[in-house]
Amino acid sequence: MTAIDPRVQEALDGERDPTTLPAELREAYARLTAAATLLRDPPATSVADRVMAQIRREAPATRPPRRSNWLLRPVTFRLRPVWTLAVAAAVAAVVFLPFRESAIPGAEEGVAQFVGHFPGARSVEVVGSFNDWQRGALALRDEDHDGIWHGAVVLPAGQHEYMFVVDGERWVADPLAGRYVDDGFGAGQQNSLLIVRP
Amino acid sequence: MVAQVLAGDGEAFGIIIRRYEPGLLRFATRMLGSPDAAADAVAESLVRAYRHLAQCRDPQHLKSWLYRITGNRCRSHIGRRHMSDVALDDAPPLADPVDTWAVLERGEQVALVERALAALQPEKREAFVLKHVEGLSYEEMADVTGARIPTLKMRVHRAREALLLALKELV
Repeated sequence: MTAIDPRVQEALDGERDPTTLPAELREAYARLTAAATLLRDPPATSVADRVMAQIRREAPATRPPRRSNWLLRPVTFRLRPVWTLAVAAAVAAVVFLPFRESAIPGAEEGVAQFVGHFPGARSVEVVGSFNDWQRGALALRDEDHDGIWHGAVVLPAGQHEYMFVVDGERWVADPLAGRYVDDGFGAGQQNSLLIVRP
Repeated sequence: MVAQVLAGDGEAFGIIIRRYEPGLLRFATRMLGSPDAAADAVAESLVRAYRHLAQCRDPQHLKSWLYRITGNRCRSHIGRRHMSDVALDDAPPLADPVDTWAVLERGEQVALVERALAALQPEKREAFVLKHVEGLSYEEMADVTGARIPTLKMRVHRAREALLLALKELV
């Protein structure tokens, strides 16, 4: 490997004016910039028609929330592990009892309970694979203004990935999830994983 | 535009495609060394991006997000085959007899640089292409690759050194 003079690297990184390079270094600079220029030819093909045809065959990127269906479906109620017993008790007092009173257990569904501690947050919602990562479909509540946000939703049995969206812009993994999976986009970020059992 | 697509206007995604497709195709072509494989990778990436558009956490970073998905698809393609396996199939087309000498010479130069680029390790090739072909900043490259900026700088520097050695014939 031939080491390149640091001044050439700086010029190529835009940190040095290339005209200030000594004459003996300009050749390396010119050769590498010429190589990059040769690689910049625009592609001769397009995949736009192919992609749009595929997209038209598929469901839209977002679907309307199915909240009305949740109310009509028979449900079972299950709490996933929560942060502390105190939080669980507080949440149960607000959410668990009313929900259970009106619910009839379903065969292949369960209720996912979401609890998060976000003091000072103006809004917290849950987006996930079960609502096509659509904002606005599942808002959590904090009636006591104590920073503990909660909500519940009926989901099909199985695994679901999700994240909290705080104040409409900050995506936060659930610290209580216990299970996480890579979000698949290569930046090392993880989605929380929820397993709903019927 | 992202909001428009998420609101159910799938056709608006065509505008996103037209805006970013040339760069994504060029990036994938340089990564894979094959226009056909690049077209497949970009098409798969764009369909995946459409499906998961709501997961694009910051529409202001849509460009980086699309490059990230495409980079992942390219790495997946590279994992399934070796660059040298496609050298003959994807060699530049033979020049038409009416081509001028200058065009022919440029074609040879492009082929020379492409061969040198293909010989780089994928992460160095990716870093060089994102920096010098696609013109991304190191911050954007970090967003695309998930690597730290000092790591990316080192990859770019190493890629330059390897290319310079391989391109002694280049005028």
